[in-house]
Amino acid sequence: MARSLWATRAASYLRINVPCRGFATGSDLPICGTRVGVTFHGMYLLYVNCENNFLSIHAVLKDLKYADSHEWVRVEGESATVGITDHAQDHLGEVVYVELPEEGSKVEQGASFGAVESVKATSDVNSPVSGKVVEVNKKLSDSPGLVNSSPYEDGWIIKVELEDDSDLPCLMDPERYTKFCEKEDASR
Amino acid sequence: MKKCRISLYGSCFRHFLFISPQEMRGPRSIEIWKMGAVNYLEALKLQEKLTSDRKTHKIKDTLLSLQHPPTFTLGKRRTVHNVLVSEAELKAMGAELHYTERGGDATFHGPRQVILYPIISLRDIGTGARKYVENLESTMIELASLYGVKARAGETGETGVWVGQRKIGAIGVRISSGITSHGLAFNIDPDLNYFKHIVPCGIPDKEVTSLQKEVGLGQKLPSEQVIHEQLVSCFTKIFGYTDVTWRDKTSVSSDGNE
Repeated sequence: MARSLWATRAASYLRINVPCRGFATGSDLPICGTRVGVTFHGMYLLYVNCENNFLSIHAVLKDLKYADSHEWVRVEGESATVGITDHAQDHLGEVVYVELPEEGSKVEQGASFGAVESVKATSDVNSPVSGKVVEVNKKLSDSPGLVNSSPYEDGWIIKVELEDDSDLPCLMDPERYTKFCEKEDASR
Repeated sequence: MKKCRISLYGSCFRHFLFISPQEMRGPRSIEIWKMGAVNYLEALKLQEKLTSDRKTHKIKDTLLSLQHPPTFTLGKRRTVHNVLVSEAELKAMGAELHYTERGGDATFHGPRQVILYPIISLRDIGTGARKYVENLESTMIELASLYGVKARAGETGETGVWVGQRKIGAIGVRISSGITSHGLAFNIDPDLNYFKHIVPCGIPDKEVTSLQKEVGLGQKLPSEQVIHEQLVSCFTKIFGYTDVTWRDKTSVSSDGNE
C-alpha cells in the first residue's frame, strides 16, 4: 500500500515543466509523443508522456482493473473499491467537489454514479462494475483534493458489493490501460 | 530524489521506449448552430438531446451560439447563498433562476452576452477537463485581443477570463461520458447591474466588466452578429477544427427541429 502511494507521489512530483528534448535524448530531435513505460517491483507502471514541453508521469497500478472512462476497480472477493485513475485526476485539474451516491443505491457497469468538479467543469464518474454501494468515502466531502493527491488509496470513491463478476472481463488490465492512455493522448 | 531511485532497481526493470510521432489527424469537423435569443430551459433541453445524440454518434461535434433573456443560474453545488435576492424579486425584475448540473457557481446571462455551448467529444480529441477549460479561456482571450483588450485566464480557483481584476468571461461546463455541454459566456455589453444581485462565480469583491466597457463607452463595437461569429472563429481555430459548417437555426425548437 505504501509503495503505491509512493508511486502516485512520485508521479505527481515528477510532473514538471521541462524541455522535452533535454530530458530524454539530449539531442535536437523533437521527441514530443515519447512514451516510456516502466514496471517497478512488478507492482505498477509509470507511464511518461511528453507533450508540448510538459513532462507528465502517470501511475498505473498492477493489481487493479480499468475502465475506458478512466476509473479503476480493486476487487477483493465479493467486494470492490472504485476510484478514478492518476491519468484522470491529472486531466481534470484540482478537484473541488465530489458528488457521492447514497449508500445502498445500485450502480451499473458503464453508468454514471456521481461526479467530480474541477476548474468549473463537472465530470461524471462511471462505475466499472455492477452492484450495490455499501460505503462512500465521506472524507471527500471535506477533502475533495484527496482524489488528486492519492487517487488509488485515500481518494477512493465508493465500495461496491458485486452483483456477480461477469463485468470483470470487459475491463482492461494495467498494460492495456496504459496503451489506451497513450493512444488517447496521441490523438490530441 | 525519487527520480534517481527508479534507475537503481535495474534488475527489476522491464522498460520500453518508443517514439511515437504526432499522428496525422484527419480533418476535425464541427457544425455551428447560429441560434439568436433562446430561453434557458429550451437551450438546456436541446443540449441534453444533442449530448445524447453525440454519445451515440448520431451527430458530429456541434456548437450552439446564442443569447439568453435575463437568467440567473447555479451550478451542481447549488450555492444558493451566492444569490443575494429572493426568487420572487428576481421574477419581479423579469429574470428566471435555474439550477443546473454544470460546474461553477452563480452567474447571470442576458442580452448582449455571447453564449457558446460546445457539444463535443473530448475523448475524440484526447483532451481532459482542464485542457478543455483552458482552451475555452483562450477562445475568449483571443476575441478580446481582436479589440485591443488584454485579457488573461483566472488564477487557480478563479476559472474564467479577466481584464485586470474585472471578469469579462465566465465558464461552466458539464462532461458526461466525455461529451461536453454548457460552456462559456462572454460579455459584449450586457446590463451589468444584474450582476449586483449575485456573488458572481462565488468570488466576492471582484467587478464584472464587458467588452464595451473595456474598449471605452464612446467606442462603437460592430454588430453582435459579427462578434458572435468572431468568437466562434476563435473557438474553431483554438480547437483545431478545419471543417466548419454554419447553420442558421434561429427558428429551431428544443427538440432540434425547425
